[in-house]
Amino acid sequence: MAVGDRSEAIVKTFAVKPKLKPTNKKSTSSPESKYWKSFKPKQTQTLVSSITSLAFSPTSPHDFAATHSATVAIFSSQTLEPKSTINAFKDTATSASFRSDGHLLAAGSYSGQIQVFDVKKRSAVRRLNGHLRPVHFVSFPRVDKLHLFSGGDDSVVKYWDVLVENSFDNLIGHKDYVRCGDGSPASDAMFITGSYDHTVRVWDVRVSKSGSMLTINHGAPVEDVIYLPSGGLIATAGGNSVKIWDVIGGGKLLHSMESHNKTVTSLCVGKTGIDSVNSTNQYRILSVSLDGYLKVFDYSTLKITSSTRFPSSLMSVAFSPDCNTRVVGSANGVLYAGKRKTNENIESVGSEWGKHIGFGAIEEPEKRVLRPSYFRYFHRGQNEKPAKGDYLIMRPKRLKLAEHDKLLKKFLHKEALVSALKAKNPENVVAVMEELVSRKKLLKCVSNLGVDELGLLMGFLHKYCTMPRYAGVLIVLAKKVVENRIDDISGSAELKGYVRNLKRLIVEETRIQESLQEIQGMISPLLKIAGRR
Amino acid sequence: MIRGGKSFVSSPPSFSNDAKKLLVCTGNTVSIFSTDTGLQVTELEGHTALVTSIIVEPAPTPASTILCYCWTSSLDGTIKYWDFSVSELMKTINIQLPIYSMVVPSFLAHKSENSEKLSDIYAYISVEDTKNEQNKQRNELSGKILKCNLSKSHLVPGVILSESKKPEKITISSTGKYIGIHEKRKIRIWEVPTKDLKNISPRKLKLSHTKNLSCIAFHPTDRILVAGDVTGRILIWRGFGDKTFAGSNLENEKLLKDEDEKPGVRGNGDADSCTTWHWHSSEVKVLSFSSEGVYLYSGGKEGVLVLWQLDTGKKVFLPRIGTPLLNFMSSPDPSLASVSCADNRIHILKMPRMEILKSISGIKLPSPVPEMFRGSCKDFVFDHTAGLVAVRTENYCIQFYSLFDDREISEVQVCERNHQPSDDVTMILNLVALSFEGSVMCTVETRMAEEGIGGFVTLKFWERGSQNNDFSLSTVIYEPHRDAGVSAVAFHPTRGMALSASYGGDFKVWVSNHEIQQNDRLIQRTRWACHAVGSYRKKPMTAAAFSNDGSVLAIAAETVITLWDPEKNVLVAVIGSTREPIENLSFIGDSNFLVSTSQGSNSQLSVWSMAKLSVSWSYKLHTEAIACSEKDSHFAVLVVLPESSKADVATSHSGAILLFNAGDPVPVASWFVAKAKGGGIAFIQRNRSLDDDMDENEGQVLLAYVNGEHEYAVFNPHGVEMQERKVRHTDSVSVTGPEVTGQIGYASIYGKLPEFKLEAGAESATLSERPWETIFSGPSHSLPPLTKLCSDFLESLLKKRTGTLI
Repeated sequence: MAVGDRSEAIVKTFAVKPKLKPTNKKSTSSPESKYWKSFKPKQTQTLVSSITSLAFSPTSPHDFAATHSATVAIFSSQTLEPKSTINAFKDTATSASFRSDGHLLAAGSYSGQIQVFDVKKRSAVRRLNGHLRPVHFVSFPRVDKLHLFSGGDDSVVKYWDVLVENSFDNLIGHKDYVRCGDGSPASDAMFITGSYDHTVRVWDVRVSKSGSMLTINHGAPVEDVIYLPSGGLIATAGGNSVKIWDVIGGGKLLHSMESHNKTVTSLCVGKTGIDSVNSTNQYRILSVSLDGYLKVFDYSTLKITSSTRFPSSLMSVAFSPDCNTRVVGSANGVLYAGKRKTNENIESVGSEWGKHIGFGAIEEPEKRVLRPSYFRYFHRGQNEKPAKGDYLIMRPKRLKLAEHDKLLKKFLHKEALVSALKAKNPENVVAVMEELVSRKKLLKCVSNLGVDELGLLMGFLHKYCTMPRYAGVLIVLAKKVVENRIDDISGSAELKGYVRNLKRLIVEETRIQESLQEIQGMISPLLKIAGRR
Repeated sequence: MIRGGKSFVSSPPSFSNDAKKLLVCTGNTVSIFSTDTGLQVTELEGHTALVTSIIVEPAPTPASTILCYCWTSSLDGTIKYWDFSVSELMKTINIQLPIYSMVVPSFLAHKSENSEKLSDIYAYISVEDTKNEQNKQRNELSGKILKCNLSKSHLVPGVILSESKKPEKITISSTGKYIGIHEKRKIRIWEVPTKDLKNISPRKLKLSHTKNLSCIAFHPTDRILVAGDVTGRILIWRGFGDKTFAGSNLENEKLLKDEDEKPGVRGNGDADSCTTWHWHSSEVKVLSFSSEGVYLYSGGKEGVLVLWQLDTGKKVFLPRIGTPLLNFMSSPDPSLASVSCADNRIHILKMPRMEILKSISGIKLPSPVPEMFRGSCKDFVFDHTAGLVAVRTENYCIQFYSLFDDREISEVQVCERNHQPSDDVTMILNLVALSFEGSVMCTVETRMAEEGIGGFVTLKFWERGSQNNDFSLSTVIYEPHRDAGVSAVAFHPTRGMALSASYGGDFKVWVSNHEIQQNDRLIQRTRWACHAVGSYRKKPMTAAAFSNDGSVLAIAAETVITLWDPEKNVLVAVIGSTREPIENLSFIGDSNFLVSTSQGSNSQLSVWSMAKLSVSWSYKLHTEAIACSEKDSHFAVLVVLPESSKADVATSHSGAILLFNAGDPVPVASWFVAKAKGGGIAFIQRNRSLDDDMDENEGQVLLAYVNGEHEYAVFNPHGVEMQERKVRHTDSVSVTGPEVTGQIGYASIYGKLPEFKLEAGAESATLSERPWETIFSGPSHSLPPLTKLCSDFLESLLKKRTGTLI
């Protein structure tokens, strides 16, 4: 009955509430940004120097390799701890790449030598010599187990037969350092390489004699290039921009994403774990840059769906094929590895933990029948979840009254102000002050404060007086406090100190205001002119 | 024509004998509410002026509590006798003097003499002697208390108990033994003679106090009198009238004692002692003893009902009612009582716990506005489509009141604060605006600063949910125009766009952005954000209006009208100037005219032609409100008539409503109205439920007029029919249809007593199958009146034919 409900509303108590804050328009995060946020970056141990590359093993459990200085470190993707390291390098190691079965790992080096390791034994199986300058790019094709392609600073791209440690061809076309490349997901014979001569070339080893199939000009030294999973599109990173090209359609530029502020260093393809209707929309481009941002770009809608800030310049990024791990390597050797928190993860951890403890020997404790002599007897049924068809009768929300609210209810105004000041939440203090103003009791309260309580108030004023959010009330109040309590203030050294601080704060604030006015003076004629057009 | 919005609290209400109904004086009528549901059941119509008191005739026996007879007195100089179960007038006594108060002592006296022959019923009435003007001018004693024989319908000649400057309210003790009035600082008490001898005037005494008294109450059993004064003190005189009223032997004994010590009693007041309680901080308005006399209820301006234990002075409170209390009525059912509040609301309390069970709300009365906000406050706005009026209340709420149903629909708490009626006003709800379809509300509230600290203006947007439920807060904007006050708020007729204009010289256009969130379920939110800011030569913006299609925005910058394009925020044109700042601005329907009003010494009503961008015609009139119809080019203005012209019109009419056609300065129609100051008018759409009655012209709109005291009338401005139409309480009837028969009091604990069949009183109300045999049996005093029986009797004689006609 509506009438009855309202009659209860008459005898209502209201808590003192601070002014509402403007809520961020995007505070309501989309499920996708929530997904990307769920990779909580955990800072693992600091490696020696810049992490030049990261690669995930294509087979479960998807361990990953990170190259830094003269080592390749292999990490477990379960615990994110290093499993093993390979130190057989004479110079800085680069560009780790797993074979499609995950048994072999290839890595280049500044010495120009490419080595292929057995991941389990950590020994070099093959050594491929041929590049004269540092090699920055080595990659196995997606499926093919017997070949390798690589690019070096001698601007030569080579296609290797791993078995015989011999290169078939020198693919010549680039005019500057070759720093990146990727194998096509469509055909093992096709791959792309990017170079500092601003171009990306598409190679096909079957027709290698005629040079590159296609040349794309990125417009800046190409730092990274990847095939998108369809095989028809490629993404190139160079300068501040990431560009998407259609290779089948003759190298047409589809889109250029320019939201990074510094050079984009690395790209990889990520996948959202969300079960959407059309699974083609699951793929995203992850890009990292020297400005410390990791951006997730949805290339189907051409929108950035997530942006994460890291404390240092980023060099490399990788995303595990099972969508559970994301690793980002920074220029100062810090590896930010993040695992997605999923329910299965927690359960699997729990079950493992159970195995360790009890070996299945511990039985579930028998459910005891509740009797009125047990405490839990009186709580039974309180955690019951409502069924779908149940009609919920909500318990009326209990109003939580803070200490100052209770005191205000009793008209103990000074005590309420002091209790709010002691609680040290500036919003509540100002709200209590506003309530006292509307009861016309604030100045009376101020004149009734004891010396130590006055110190509390002066401390608060000193701290928050010039904050724009509270300044409207507090600056006038500070003036009144100093005027009304001048005798007490001059009698106490501590209070004098507060006044001195306050004075300094006000001088600083006037300086800020003056400079703001100067800026306003500069801008307003511009705005006037703009408005006239 | 529909009238409504009457005050429920002008005089004390009265419970029926079974405490299931509450009889409330509502203007010229008596409304009867059900105490179970708080909804109106029926109405007694007949008086032609304000009803001032209702006295329910008590049931002679406990079994006959269903009898529903009452006496009412009114300022039209009549006393009427009703059967309120069927809302039927039974008798009218014409006194010809306005009656301010009436008591009937014999109803309250113990019914020991019931078995005797029923004696005449006498009433004491407080009247204003308006008959001889000369007499009034000479000694100004116009208030008189007279005695009236209700049974024989005439005044008892020669009995004038007292004469006072103005008619006073008579208070009666619950045994009917004493009646008293308070006049300034004096109390006068009379003992009512037990035998109704004609020409013996009752014995009387006087008590005095140093402050003006505000109310008095008698103890039900002992000779104790309590009085409240304007400072909040409660005075208790114990043993009043020992000398005057008590027997002679007792008088001799007491005499010696009385001479030397009478603590607290002033002058030669006849009382043993006088004690004072002082809890209330301002005037005491309510004093009432509980039925057994152990407790005293008091209340006043603070809005706190206090329950005192009479012997110890211990107190129990019902706080935070939030408005001054005016009346406390206890009912025949000990678990119910009612409190009338100054905000036109009657609370029904569950008694020992003092818990509010139900509230009967009338339209909220105008709340006082401090001087500095006089210009920038709007008391109420209309919802044109739903026929509602949104009234600003004192306790920071907006009340939605249905003009067609004459009842409260809902209340929205705008500021979350408790209102303390006795405090100064430090916060005020300035403006309310409703969007055209009534789904968005905008409110402006101002907190006043204390010596320059902490005052600010808040603009709030409220959205009504999809299920047409209450408004919920959508957006809060603090200090929308820095520290300047908001002068006007207007809504775009079709889009989610609003405008606020300020005295600080700028206006802002706000637009709503919908955002739908698909998180578990569909949540739709709307935010209002600033779209554009504009100003015209830093002049204060005083009024604003959107044109009917929303393409033009007219804003009055003090004396000129500026026209803007609301989308692009471009100044389109500036038209003419008036002498005084423009207060109100409105586009007239689909015509290209704009009407503006300004107040002050050169108040003006001007109609501007948008085609020529110049004034079309204007009058020098003090205009209170404008209403423009949406469809055609009619508009109505509410004009306060100047003092000089009042002599021509009847004195009660202070204003007039003029209906104009936009292009024509000659009014189409005009009506004189009362209490026009602070009133408002609006065209509202016809309610669906009314269509079946007034089907002559479907598409037309009605004109609603709300006067300065929030009483209203709704009528068809184009039709000639002006006969009164009753507000139908169709919905309330259906709710109260199955009469709730909860057992109360004794019956609730021990069950129903077996009815004593010997008493014929119980039978008299229910007529048996063959009424002519039993209809006149039983004692005559317990029979229903002949006027009621007659029709039944005659009907019973006309035997019904059972077979069909061949």
